[in-house]
Amino acid sequence: MADLPKPSTFDDRQRTSDTAESDDDDRKSAAVRQAIRSELAVDAPSDSARGGKRSSDKSVVELQHVSLAFDVPIIEDVSFVTCEGETMAIVGESGTGKSTILKLVLRLLVPDRGFVLIDGEDITPLTFEEALVVRQKMGMVFQGSALFDSMSVFENVAYPLREHTDMDEDEIAQRVREKLQFVDLEPDRVMEQLPSELSGGMKKRVGIARGMANNPRIMLYDEPTSGLDPLTTGTIMRLIMKLQRELGVTSLVVSHDIRAVFRMATKVALLHERRITFLGTPEEMAASDDRYIQDFLGGFSS
Amino acid sequence: MPAFLTRLNDAAKSKILTLQEYFVLAGKALRFIVARPFYGQDVVQQMDEIGVKSLGIVILTGLFTGMVLALQSSVQLKTFGASIYIGNLVSASMIRELGPVLAGLMVAGRVGSGIAAQLGSMRVTEQIDALNTLGTDPIKKLVTPRLIAALVMVPVLTIINDFVGIIGGNIIASLVLGLPGAMYWRTVWVQIANDGFALRVIPNDFIQGLTKPIVFGGLIAVTACYFGLGTTGGTEGVGQSTTRTVVTSSILILIVDYFITQVLLSVLTYG
Repeated sequence: MADLPKPSTFDDRQRTSDTAESDDDDRKSAAVRQAIRSELAVDAPSDSARGGKRSSDKSVVELQHVSLAFDVPIIEDVSFVTCEGETMAIVGESGTGKSTILKLVLRLLVPDRGFVLIDGEDITPLTFEEALVVRQKMGMVFQGSALFDSMSVFENVAYPLREHTDMDEDEIAQRVREKLQFVDLEPDRVMEQLPSELSGGMKKRVGIARGMANNPRIMLYDEPTSGLDPLTTGTIMRLIMKLQRELGVTSLVVSHDIRAVFRMATKVALLHERRITFLGTPEEMAASDDRYIQDFLGGFSS
Repeated sequence: MPAFLTRLNDAAKSKILTLQEYFVLAGKALRFIVARPFYGQDVVQQMDEIGVKSLGIVILTGLFTGMVLALQSSVQLKTFGASIYIGNLVSASMIRELGPVLAGLMVAGRVGSGIAAQLGSMRVTEQIDALNTLGTDPIKKLVTPRLIAALVMVPVLTIINDFVGIIGGNIIASLVLGLPGAMYWRTVWVQIANDGFALRVIPNDFIQGLTKPIVFGGLIAVTACYFGLGTTGGTEGVGQSTTRTVVTSSILILIVDYFITQVLLSVLTYG
Protein backbone atom coordinates (compact mmCIF):
# COMPACT_ATOMS: atom_id res chain seq x y z
CA MET A 1 0.00 0.00 0.00
CA ALA A 2 2.77 2.41 0.99
CA ASP A 3 4.28 2.19 -2.49
CA LEU A 4 1.19 3.33 -4.26
CA PRO A 5 1.04 6.98 -5.15
CA LYS A 6 -1.42 8.80 -2.95
CA PRO A 7 -4.53 9.56 -4.91
CA SER A 8 -5.23 13.20 -5.22
CA THR A 9 -8.26 13.85 -3.08
CA PHE A 10 -10.68 16.64 -3.50
CA ASP A 11 -9.19 18.34 -0.48
CA ASP A 12 -5.73 18.28 -1.98
CA ARG A 13 -6.93 19.82 -5.18
CA GLN A 14 -8.79 22.43 -3.25
CA ARG A 15 -5.67 23.29 -1.28
CA THR A 16 -3.47 23.50 -4.35
CA SER A 17 -5.86 25.78 -6.11
CA ASP A 18 -6.09 27.88 -2.95
CA THR A 19 -2.35 28.46 -2.82
CA ALA A 20 -2.27 29.19 -6.49
CA GLU A 21 -4.99 31.74 -6.12
CA SER A 22 -3.51 33.38 -3.06
CA ASP A 23 -0.67 34.66 -5.21
CA ASP A 24 -2.89 36.94 -7.18
CA ASP A 25 -5.41 37.57 -4.45
CA ASP A 26 -5.74 41.25 -5.13
CA ARG A 27 -6.46 40.67 -8.75
CA LYS A 28 -9.03 38.07 -7.80
CA SER A 29 -10.85 40.16 -5.24
CA ALA A 30 -11.19 42.97 -7.74
CA ALA A 31 -12.64 40.52 -10.20
CA VAL A 32 -14.97 39.12 -7.58
CA ARG A 33 -16.24 42.53 -6.69
CA GLN A 34 -16.87 43.23 -10.34
CA ALA A 35 -18.72 39.96 -10.74
CA ILE A 36 -20.88 40.63 -7.72
CA ARG A 37 -21.69 44.14 -8.82
CA SER A 38 -22.83 42.89 -12.18
CA GLU A 39 -24.82 40.18 -10.43
CA LEU A 40 -26.51 42.82 -8.36
CA ALA A 41 -27.15 44.96 -11.39
CA VAL A 42 -28.73 42.11 -13.32
CA ASP A 43 -30.62 40.23 -10.68
CA ALA A 44 -31.35 42.55 -7.85
CA PRO A 45 -34.80 44.06 -7.88
CA SER A 46 -34.96 47.80 -7.50
CA ASP A 47 -35.00 49.09 -3.98
CA SER A 48 -38.66 49.88 -4.11
CA ALA A 49 -39.53 46.35 -5.20
CA ARG A 50 -37.26 44.79 -2.65
CA GLY A 51 -38.24 47.13 0.13
CA GLY A 52 -41.88 46.35 -0.60
CA LYS A 53 -44.18 47.72 2.01
CA ARG A 54 -41.37 48.67 4.34
CA SER A 55 -42.59 51.80 5.93
CA SER A 56 -41.85 51.82 9.63
CA ASP A 57 -38.69 51.23 11.57
CA LYS A 58 -40.57 49.15 14.09
CA SER A 59 -38.38 46.37 15.42
CA VAL A 60 -39.98 42.99 14.81
CA VAL A 61 -37.20 40.52 15.47
CA GLU A 62 -34.33 41.67 17.61
CA LEU A 63 -31.41 39.90 19.26
CA GLN A 64 -29.45 41.68 21.98
CA HIS A 65 -26.01 40.35 22.90
CA VAL A 66 -27.13 36.75 22.62
CA SER A 67 -24.72 33.98 23.57
CA LEU A 68 -25.34 30.27 23.58
CA ALA A 69 -23.15 27.27 24.26
CA PHE A 70 -23.66 23.52 24.38
CA ASP A 71 -20.39 22.31 25.85
CA VAL A 72 -18.69 24.43 23.18
CA PRO A 73 -19.77 27.99 22.35
CA ILE A 74 -22.19 28.14 19.40
CA ILE A 75 -22.75 31.89 19.08
CA GLU A 76 -21.34 34.77 21.08
CA ASP A 77 -22.63 38.29 21.57
CA VAL A 78 -24.90 38.31 18.53
CA SER A 79 -27.07 41.40 18.08
CA PHE A 80 -29.24 42.53 15.20
CA VAL A 81 -32.55 44.24 14.53
CA THR A 82 -34.98 43.31 11.79
CA CYS A 83 -37.63 45.95 11.18
CA GLU A 84 -41.10 45.48 9.82
CA GLY A 85 -41.17 44.43 6.18
CA GLU A 86 -37.45 43.80 5.98
CA THR A 87 -35.81 40.64 4.70
CA MET A 88 -32.80 39.89 6.82
CA ALA A 89 -30.40 37.27 5.54
CA ILE A 90 -28.02 35.51 7.88
CA VAL A 91 -25.14 34.07 5.92
CA GLY A 92 -22.01 32.24 6.89
CA GLU A 93 -20.14 29.00 6.52
CA SER A 94 -21.79 25.74 7.46
CA GLY A 95 -21.74 25.03 11.17
CA THR A 96 -21.44 28.63 12.33
CA GLY A 97 -24.71 28.57 14.20
CA LYS A 98 -27.00 30.11 11.57
CA SER A 99 -29.85 27.68 12.19
CA THR A 100 -29.34 28.15 15.93
CA ILE A 101 -30.37 31.78 15.53
CA LEU A 102 -33.70 30.71 13.99
CA LYS A 103 -34.26 28.28 16.85
CA LEU A 104 -33.56 31.11 19.31
CA VAL A 105 -36.06 33.35 17.54
CA LEU A 106 -38.64 30.56 17.70
CA ARG A 107 -37.65 29.98 21.31
CA LEU A 108 -36.96 26.33 20.62
CA LEU A 109 -33.70 27.25 22.37
CA VAL A 110 -33.12 29.71 25.17
CA PRO A 111 -29.93 31.81 25.15
CA ASP A 112 -27.42 31.55 27.98
CA ARG A 113 -27.04 35.34 27.94
CA GLY A 114 -28.80 38.16 26.14
CA PHE A 115 -32.36 38.78 25.01
CA VAL A 116 -34.52 37.82 22.07
CA LEU A 117 -37.26 40.33 21.33
CA ILE A 118 -40.30 39.67 19.15
CA ASP A 119 -42.35 42.83 18.54
CA GLY A 120 -40.34 44.44 21.30
CA GLU A 121 -41.26 41.78 23.84
CA ASP A 122 -38.52 39.71 25.44
CA ILE A 123 -39.39 36.04 24.87
CA THR A 124 -36.54 34.49 26.86
CA PRO A 125 -38.37 34.31 30.22
CA LEU A 126 -41.55 32.81 28.73
CA THR A 127 -42.78 29.39 29.82
CA PHE A 128 -43.10 26.57 27.31
CA GLU A 129 -46.85 27.16 26.95
CA GLU A 130 -46.46 30.92 26.51
CA ALA A 131 -43.83 30.31 23.87
CA LEU A 132 -46.32 28.20 21.90
CA VAL A 133 -48.50 31.31 21.62
CA VAL A 134 -45.66 33.60 20.51
CA ARG A 135 -44.69 31.08 17.82
CA GLN A 136 -48.07 31.57 16.17
CA LYS A 137 -46.84 34.97 15.00
CA MET A 138 -44.18 33.16 13.01
CA GLY A 139 -44.10 30.80 10.08
CA MET A 140 -41.09 28.59 9.69
CA VAL A 141 -39.88 26.86 6.55
CA PHE A 142 -37.50 24.03 7.39
CA GLN A 143 -34.47 22.99 5.44
CA GLY A 144 -35.88 19.54 4.76
CA SER A 145 -39.46 20.92 4.60
CA ALA A 146 -40.35 18.83 7.69
CA LEU A 147 -43.82 18.04 6.36
CA PHE A 148 -45.72 15.60 8.53
CA ASP A 149 -45.35 12.46 6.48
CA SER A 150 -48.36 10.73 7.96
CA MET A 151 -50.64 13.50 6.66
CA SER A 152 -51.68 14.55 3.17
CA VAL A 153 -50.62 17.88 1.70
CA PHE A 154 -54.05 19.27 2.57
CA GLU A 155 -53.80 18.14 6.18
CA ASN A 156 -50.29 19.56 6.44
CA VAL A 157 -51.30 23.01 5.29
CA ALA A 158 -54.51 22.84 7.33
CA TYR A 159 -52.63 21.81 10.46
CA PRO A 160 -51.92 25.26 11.93
CA LEU A 161 -55.49 26.31 11.12
CA ARG A 162 -57.02 23.34 12.92
CA GLU A 163 -54.69 23.89 15.86
CA HIS A 164 -55.20 27.56 16.46
CA THR A 165 -58.34 28.83 14.78
CA ASP A 166 -62.05 28.18 15.03
CA MET A 167 -62.41 28.06 11.26
CA ASP A 168 -64.95 25.55 9.97
CA GLU A 169 -64.10 22.94 7.34
CA ASP A 170 -65.19 25.13 4.40
CA GLU A 171 -63.10 28.05 5.52
CA ILE A 172 -60.10 25.79 6.09
CA ALA A 173 -60.46 24.20 2.66
CA GLN A 174 -60.68 27.63 1.08
CA ARG A 175 -57.63 28.92 2.93
CA VAL A 176 -55.60 25.84 2.03
CA ARG A 177 -56.47 26.26 -1.65
CA GLU A 178 -55.57 29.91 -1.52
CA LYS A 179 -52.18 29.20 0.05
CA LEU A 180 -51.38 26.36 -2.34
CA GLN A 181 -52.24 28.63 -5.26
CA PHE A 182 -50.02 31.33 -3.80
CA VAL A 183 -47.05 28.95 -3.95
CA ASP A 184 -47.95 28.00 -7.55
CA LEU A 185 -49.27 24.54 -6.83
CA GLU A 186 -52.51 23.23 -8.28
CA PRO A 187 -54.63 22.46 -5.22
CA ASP A 188 -56.70 19.79 -6.95
CA ARG A 189 -53.64 17.89 -8.07
CA VAL A 190 -51.55 17.88 -4.92
CA MET A 191 -54.01 18.15 -2.05
CA GLU A 192 -54.56 14.46 -1.50
CA GLN A 193 -50.97 13.44 -2.11
CA LEU A 194 -48.62 12.40 0.66
CA PRO A 195 -45.36 14.31 1.16
CA SER A 196 -43.39 11.23 0.11
CA GLU A 197 -44.96 11.48 -3.35
CA LEU A 198 -43.72 15.02 -3.95
CA SER A 199 -40.47 16.31 -5.45
CA GLY A 200 -38.05 18.35 -3.36
CA GLY A 201 -39.18 21.66 -4.83
CA MET A 202 -42.85 20.83 -4.34
CA LYS A 203 -42.20 19.82 -0.73
CA LYS A 204 -40.48 23.14 -0.18
CA ARG A 205 -43.48 24.96 -1.60
CA VAL A 206 -45.92 23.01 0.54
CA GLY A 207 -43.64 23.84 3.46
CA ILE A 208 -43.96 27.53 2.64
CA ALA A 209 -47.74 27.19 2.25
CA ARG A 210 -47.94 25.55 5.67
CA GLY A 211 -45.69 28.19 7.21
CA MET A 212 -47.91 31.00 5.90
CA ALA A 213 -51.27 29.30 6.45
CA ASN A 214 -51.89 31.22 9.64
CA ASN A 215 -50.99 34.52 7.95
CA PRO A 216 -47.99 35.09 10.20
CA ARG A 217 -46.27 38.48 10.11
CA ILE A 218 -42.84 36.92 10.44
CA MET A 219 -41.47 34.22 8.15
CA LEU A 220 -38.33 32.26 8.94
CA TYR A 221 -36.51 30.24 6.28
CA ASP A 222 -33.78 27.72 6.99
CA GLU A 223 -31.70 27.17 3.84
CA PRO A 224 -34.72 27.64 1.56
CA THR A 225 -32.77 26.88 -1.62
CA SER A 226 -30.39 24.15 -0.53
CA GLY A 227 -30.51 20.93 -2.48
CA LEU A 228 -32.66 22.41 -5.26
CA ASP A 229 -31.82 22.78 -8.94
CA PRO A 230 -31.21 26.32 -10.23
CA LEU A 231 -34.69 26.64 -11.77
CA THR A 232 -36.48 25.57 -8.61
CA THR A 233 -34.16 27.77 -6.59
CA GLY A 234 -35.32 30.72 -8.68
CA THR A 235 -38.95 29.79 -8.14
CA ILE A 236 -38.53 29.54 -4.39
CA MET A 237 -36.69 32.85 -4.26
CA ARG A 238 -39.36 34.63 -6.26
CA LEU A 239 -41.91 33.13 -3.88
CA ILE A 240 -40.13 34.48 -0.82
CA MET A 241 -39.89 37.91 -2.43
CA LYS A 242 -43.55 37.81 -3.47
CA LEU A 243 -44.52 36.99 0.09
CA GLN A 244 -42.59 39.94 1.38
CA ARG A 245 -43.79 42.32 -1.33
CA GLU A 246 -47.47 41.42 -1.42
CA LEU A 247 -48.07 40.65 2.23
CA GLY A 248 -45.39 42.81 3.81
CA VAL A 249 -44.12 40.06 6.07
CA THR A 250 -40.84 40.39 7.88
CA SER A 251 -38.47 37.62 6.86
CA LEU A 252 -35.39 36.05 8.31
CA VAL A 253 -33.48 33.88 5.85
CA VAL A 254 -30.63 31.64 6.86
CA SER A 255 -28.58 30.55 3.89
CA HIS A 256 -25.16 30.00 2.45
CA ASP A 257 -26.46 30.53 -1.07
CA ILE A 258 -25.04 34.02 -1.48
CA ARG A 259 -26.55 34.61 -4.94
CA ALA A 260 -30.03 33.93 -3.68
CA VAL A 261 -29.47 36.09 -0.63
CA PHE A 262 -28.26 39.06 -2.65
CA ARG A 263 -31.40 38.96 -4.73
CA MET A 264 -33.91 39.01 -1.95
CA ALA A 265 -32.36 40.47 1.19
CA THR A 266 -32.62 44.05 2.33
CA LYS A 267 -30.02 43.41 5.01
CA VAL A 268 -27.27 40.83 5.34
CA ALA A 269 -25.61 39.63 8.52
CA LEU A 270 -22.44 37.61 8.12
CA LEU A 271 -21.76 35.08 10.85
CA HIS A 272 -18.10 34.23 11.22
CA GLU A 273 -16.54 32.37 14.11
CA ARG A 274 -19.68 32.61 16.25
CA ARG A 275 -20.01 36.39 15.86
CA ILE A 276 -21.64 38.76 13.43
CA THR A 277 -18.72 40.33 11.63
CA PHE A 278 -20.70 42.28 9.07
CA LEU A 279 -24.17 43.80 9.08
CA GLY A 280 -25.44 45.91 6.24
CA THR A 281 -27.08 45.96 2.83
CA PRO A 282 -25.98 43.55 0.09
CA GLU A 283 -24.45 46.49 -1.79
CA GLU A 284 -22.38 47.46 1.23
CA MET A 285 -21.28 43.89 1.60
CA ALA A 286 -20.17 43.63 -2.02
CA ALA A 287 -18.24 46.89 -1.64
CA SER A 288 -16.50 45.81 1.54
CA ASP A 289 -12.72 45.57 1.55
CA ASP A 290 -12.67 42.94 4.29
CA ARG A 291 -10.57 39.98 3.21
CA TYR A 292 -12.87 37.34 4.72
CA ILE A 293 -15.97 38.87 3.17
CA GLN A 294 -14.30 38.93 -0.22
CA ASP A 295 -13.22 35.32 0.18
CA PHE A 296 -16.68 34.36 1.28
CA LEU A 297 -18.34 36.08 -1.66
CA GLY A 298 -15.66 34.81 -4.03
CA GLY A 299 -16.19 31.26 -2.94
CA PHE A 300 -19.71 31.42 -4.24
CA SER A 301 -19.50 33.71 -7.20
CA SER A 302 -16.90 31.64 -9.03
CA MET B 1 -7.51 9.41 40.61
CA PRO B 2 -9.40 12.74 40.63
CA ALA B 3 -9.87 12.44 36.89
CA PHE B 4 -11.37 9.03 37.40
CA LEU B 5 -13.66 10.36 40.11
CA THR B 6 -14.74 13.25 37.95
CA ARG B 7 -15.65 10.86 35.20
CA LEU B 8 -17.56 8.69 37.64
CA ASN B 9 -19.34 11.76 38.94
CA ASP B 10 -20.27 12.86 35.41
CA ALA B 11 -21.49 9.41 34.51
CA ALA B 12 -23.64 9.21 37.63
CA LYS B 13 -25.04 12.67 36.99
CA SER B 14 -25.98 11.88 33.41
CA LYS B 15 -27.66 8.63 34.48
CA ILE B 16 -29.73 10.45 37.08
CA LEU B 17 -30.54 13.16 34.58
CA THR B 18 -31.75 10.50 32.15
CA LEU B 19 -33.95 9.02 34.82
CA GLN B 20 -35.29 12.44 35.69
CA GLU B 21 -36.08 13.22 32.04
CA TYR B 22 -37.84 9.89 31.75
CA PHE B 23 -40.11 10.61 34.68
CA VAL B 24 -40.73 14.21 33.60
CA LEU B 25 -41.86 12.88 30.23
CA ALA B 26 -44.09 10.28 31.88
CA GLY B 27 -45.53 12.89 34.24
CA LYS B 28 -46.28 15.38 31.47
CA ALA B 29 -47.83 12.73 29.24
CA LEU B 30 -50.07 11.59 32.10
CA ARG B 31 -51.06 15.14 32.99
CA PHE B 32 -52.03 15.89 29.40
CA ILE B 33 -54.56 13.05 29.47
CA VAL B 34 -56.92 15.44 31.24
CA ALA B 35 -55.78 18.72 29.62
CA ARG B 36 -57.19 20.40 26.53
CA PRO B 37 -56.88 20.18 23.56
CA PHE B 38 -57.64 16.48 23.22
CA TYR B 39 -56.33 14.65 20.19
CA GLY B 40 -59.11 12.08 20.07
CA GLN B 41 -58.46 11.06 16.52
CA ASP B 42 -54.82 10.33 17.32
CA VAL B 43 -55.88 8.21 20.29
CA VAL B 44 -58.22 6.13 18.14
CA GLN B 45 -55.56 5.73 15.47
CA GLN B 46 -53.01 4.61 18.06
CA MET B 47 -55.48 2.17 19.62
CA ASP B 48 -55.86 0.63 16.21
CA GLU B 49 -52.09 0.57 15.74
CA ILE B 50 -51.24 -0.77 19.19
CA GLY B 51 -54.28 -2.91 19.88
CA VAL B 52 -56.03 -4.17 16.79
CA LYS B 53 -52.89 -4.69 14.73
CA SER B 54 -51.19 -6.62 17.56
CA LEU B 55 -54.11 -9.00 17.83
CA GLY B 56 -52.64 -11.59 15.48
CA ILE B 57 -49.32 -12.06 17.22
CA VAL B 58 -50.93 -11.98 20.65
CA ILE B 59 -53.42 -14.69 19.72
CA LEU B 60 -50.68 -16.90 18.30
CA THR B 61 -48.48 -16.32 21.34
CA GLY B 62 -51.29 -17.11 23.74
CA LEU B 63 -52.45 -20.22 21.90
CA PHE B 64 -49.05 -21.86 21.74
CA THR B 65 -48.07 -20.82 25.25
CA GLY B 66 -51.23 -22.41 26.65
CA MET B 67 -50.67 -25.52 24.57
CA VAL B 68 -47.05 -25.98 25.61
CA LEU B 69 -47.93 -25.28 29.23
CA ALA B 70 -50.52 -28.05 29.18
CA LEU B 71 -48.17 -30.38 27.35
CA GLN B 72 -45.29 -29.90 29.77
CA SER B 73 -47.41 -30.06 32.90
CA SER B 74 -49.26 -33.13 31.65
CA VAL B 75 -45.97 -35.04 31.85
CA GLN B 76 -45.27 -33.82 35.37
CA LEU B 77 -48.80 -34.22 36.68
CA LYS B 78 -49.10 -37.73 35.26
CA THR B 79 -46.28 -38.96 37.53
CA PHE B 80 -48.38 -37.92 40.53
CA GLY B 81 -51.56 -39.20 38.97
CA ALA B 82 -52.84 -35.62 39.08
CA SER B 83 -53.56 -35.00 35.41
CA ILE B 84 -56.98 -33.75 36.36
CA TYR B 85 -55.47 -30.55 37.78
CA ILE B 86 -54.08 -29.41 34.46
CA GLY B 87 -56.71 -26.67 34.20
CA ASN B 88 -55.66 -25.22 37.54
CA LEU B 89 -52.08 -24.99 36.40
CA VAL B 90 -52.76 -23.42 33.02
CA SER B 91 -55.24 -20.91 34.39
CA ALA B 92 -53.04 -19.74 37.27
CA SER B 93 -49.91 -19.45 35.11
CA MET B 94 -51.61 -17.73 32.20
CA ILE B 95 -53.66 -15.20 34.14
CA ARG B 96 -51.10 -14.27 36.76
CA GLU B 97 -47.83 -14.38 34.84
CA LEU B 98 -47.54 -15.53 31.28
CA GLY B 99 -50.50 -13.65 29.84
CA PRO B 100 -49.37 -10.18 30.98
CA VAL B 101 -45.64 -10.73 30.51
CA LEU B 102 -45.84 -12.32 27.08
CA ALA B 103 -48.40 -9.81 25.81
CA GLY B 104 -46.14 -7.07 27.18
CA LEU B 105 -43.04 -8.44 25.51
CA MET B 106 -44.82 -8.93 22.19
CA VAL B 107 -46.20 -5.39 22.26
CA ALA B 108 -42.78 -4.03 23.28
CA GLY B 109 -41.27 -5.71 20.26
CA ARG B 110 -43.93 -4.83 17.76
CA VAL B 111 -45.32 -1.52 18.96
CA GLY B 112 -42.43 -0.12 21.01
CA SER B 113 -40.04 -0.41 18.11
CA GLY B 114 -42.61 1.11 15.76
CA ILE B 115 -43.23 4.11 18.01
CA ALA B 116 -39.50 4.70 18.55
CA ALA B 117 -38.80 4.49 14.82
CA GLN B 118 -41.65 6.82 13.94
CA LEU B 119 -40.88 9.48 16.53
CA GLY B 120 -37.15 9.10 15.84
CA SER B 121 -37.68 9.76 12.13
CA MET B 122 -39.87 12.71 12.98
CA ARG B 123 -37.10 14.06 15.20
CA VAL B 124 -34.32 13.74 12.63
CA THR B 125 -36.44 15.18 9.80
CA GLU B 126 -37.30 18.19 12.00
CA GLN B 127 -40.99 17.27 12.17
CA ILE B 128 -40.86 17.52 15.96
CA ASP B 129 -39.42 21.03 15.63
CA ALA B 130 -42.15 21.76 13.11
CA LEU B 131 -44.83 20.71 15.61
CA ASN B 132 -43.28 23.00 18.21
CA THR B 133 -43.09 25.81 15.69
CA LEU B 134 -46.72 25.38 14.71
CA GLY B 135 -47.62 25.83 18.36
CA THR B 136 -48.27 22.21 19.29
CA ASP B 137 -46.72 20.52 22.28
CA PRO B 138 -45.21 17.33 20.80
CA ILE B 139 -45.72 15.50 24.08
CA LYS B 140 -49.41 16.25 24.01
CA LYS B 141 -49.80 15.47 20.34
CA LEU B 142 -47.57 12.41 20.09
CA VAL B 143 -46.83 10.91 23.49
CA THR B 144 -50.16 11.21 25.31
CA PRO B 145 -52.26 9.48 22.61
CA ARG B 146 -49.79 6.61 22.52
CA LEU B 147 -49.77 6.38 26.29
CA ILE B 148 -53.55 6.31 26.52
CA ALA B 149 -53.76 3.72 23.76
CA ALA B 150 -51.15 1.51 25.43
CA LEU B 151 -52.74 1.84 28.88
CA VAL B 152 -56.06 0.65 27.43
CA MET B 153 -54.97 -1.81 24.78
CA VAL B 154 -52.24 -3.81 26.55
CA PRO B 155 -54.71 -4.97 29.24
CA VAL B 156 -57.25 -5.82 26.53
CA LEU B 157 -54.62 -7.80 24.64
CA THR B 158 -53.65 -9.53 27.85
CA ILE B 159 -57.20 -10.66 28.52
CA ILE B 160 -57.39 -12.06 24.99
CA ASN B 161 -53.98 -13.68 25.45
CA ASP B 162 -55.10 -15.31 28.73
CA PHE B 163 -58.31 -16.58 27.22
CA VAL B 164 -56.72 -18.00 24.09
CA GLY B 165 -53.98 -19.59 26.22
CA ILE B 166 -56.54 -21.36 28.39
CA ILE B 167 -58.30 -22.58 25.25
CA GLY B 168 -54.92 -23.86 24.01
CA GLY B 169 -54.60 -25.79 27.28
CA ASN B 170 -58.07 -27.16 26.69
CA ILE B 171 -57.12 -28.44 23.25
CA ILE B 172 -54.06 -30.28 24.57
CA ALA B 173 -55.88 -31.56 27.65
CA SER B 174 -58.53 -33.22 25.54
CA LEU B 175 -56.20 -34.41 22.75
CA VAL B 176 -53.30 -35.71 24.83
CA LEU B 177 -54.92 -36.58 28.13
CA GLY B 178 -58.44 -37.18 26.94
CA LEU B 179 -59.75 -34.83 29.63
CA PRO B 180 -63.33 -33.74 28.89
CA GLY B 181 -63.72 -30.01 28.19
CA ALA B 182 -66.26 -29.50 30.96
CA MET B 183 -63.86 -31.00 33.47
CA TYR B 184 -61.01 -28.77 32.26
CA TRP B 185 -63.02 -25.57 32.47
CA ARG B 186 -64.30 -26.54 35.90
CA THR B 187 -60.73 -26.80 37.21
CA VAL B 188 -59.92 -23.45 35.59
CA TRP B 189 -62.70 -21.74 37.56
CA VAL B 190 -61.89 -23.64 40.72
CA GLN B 191 -58.33 -22.34 40.60
CA ILE B 192 -59.50 -18.73 40.17
CA ALA B 193 -61.92 -19.14 43.08
CA ASN B 194 -59.30 -20.81 45.24
CA ASP B 195 -56.95 -17.88 44.80
CA GLY B 196 -59.40 -15.79 46.74
CA PHE B 197 -61.32 -12.57 46.17
CA ALA B 198 -60.63 -8.98 46.96
CA LEU B 199 -63.68 -7.14 48.32
CA ARG B 200 -65.45 -10.51 48.16
CA VAL B 201 -66.21 -10.29 44.42
CA ILE B 202 -63.07 -9.47 42.42
CA PRO B 203 -60.84 -12.50 41.97
CA ASN B 204 -57.28 -11.83 43.17
CA ASP B 205 -55.95 -13.40 40.00
CA PHE B 206 -57.77 -10.83 37.91
CA ILE B 207 -56.33 -7.97 39.96
CA GLN B 208 -52.82 -9.31 39.46
CA GLY B 209 -53.49 -10.13 35.84
CA LEU B 210 -54.74 -6.63 35.07
CA THR B 211 -52.45 -4.47 37.21
CA LYS B 212 -49.45 -5.80 35.37
CA PRO B 213 -50.50 -5.05 31.79
CA ILE B 214 -51.59 -1.52 32.73
CA VAL B 215 -48.13 -0.86 34.14
CA PHE B 216 -46.45 -2.60 31.20
CA GLY B 217 -48.47 -0.58 28.72
CA GLY B 218 -47.36 2.66 30.34
CA LEU B 219 -43.78 1.42 30.45
CA ILE B 220 -43.69 0.52 26.78
CA ALA B 221 -45.27 3.76 25.59
CA VAL B 222 -43.11 6.06 27.71
CA THR B 223 -39.89 4.17 26.98
CA ALA B 224 -40.53 4.15 23.25
CA CYS B 225 -41.47 7.83 23.20
CA TYR B 226 -38.50 8.74 25.38
CA PHE B 227 -35.97 7.08 23.11
CA GLY B 228 -37.81 8.15 19.96
CA LEU B 229 -37.96 11.83 20.89
CA GLY B 230 -34.36 11.75 22.12
CA THR B 231 -33.03 10.46 18.81
CA THR B 232 -29.91 12.14 17.48
CA GLY B 233 -27.60 11.35 14.62
CA GLY B 234 -29.78 10.82 11.57
CA THR B 235 -31.10 7.51 10.32
CA GLU B 236 -28.48 5.56 12.23
CA GLY B 237 -29.75 7.17 15.40
CA VAL B 238 -33.27 5.97 14.57
CA GLY B 239 -32.01 2.39 14.45
CA GLN B 240 -30.27 2.80 17.79
CA SER B 241 -33.37 4.27 19.43
CA THR B 242 -35.44 1.38 18.15
CA THR B 243 -33.05 -1.22 19.52
CA ARG B 244 -32.74 0.56 22.84
CA THR B 245 -36.50 0.76 23.15
CA VAL B 246 -37.04 -2.94 22.65
CA VAL B 247 -34.18 -3.99 24.93
CA THR B 248 -34.97 -1.51 27.70
CA SER B 249 -38.71 -2.02 27.75
CA SER B 250 -38.38 -5.83 27.65
CA ILE B 251 -35.98 -5.85 30.58
CA LEU B 252 -38.07 -3.34 32.49
CA ILE B 253 -41.14 -5.50 31.98
CA LEU B 254 -39.43 -8.53 33.50
CA ILE B 255 -37.99 -6.59 36.44
CA VAL B 256 -41.14 -4.65 37.20
CA ASP B 257 -43.16 -7.85 36.90
CA TYR B 258 -41.23 -9.34 39.80
CA PHE B 259 -41.80 -6.36 42.05
CA ILE B 260 -45.50 -6.05 41.23
CA THR B 261 -45.92 -9.72 42.04
CA GLN B 262 -44.06 -9.26 45.31
CA VAL B 263 -46.19 -6.31 46.34
CA LEU B 264 -49.51 -7.81 45.25
CA LEU B 265 -48.84 -11.14 46.93
CA SER B 266 -48.30 -9.36 50.22
CA VAL B 267 -51.30 -7.07 49.80
CA LEU B 268 -53.87 -9.53 48.49
CA THR B 269 -54.83 -12.43 50.72
CA TYR B 270 -54.40 -15.61 48.75
CA GLY B 271 -56.16 -18.85 49.52
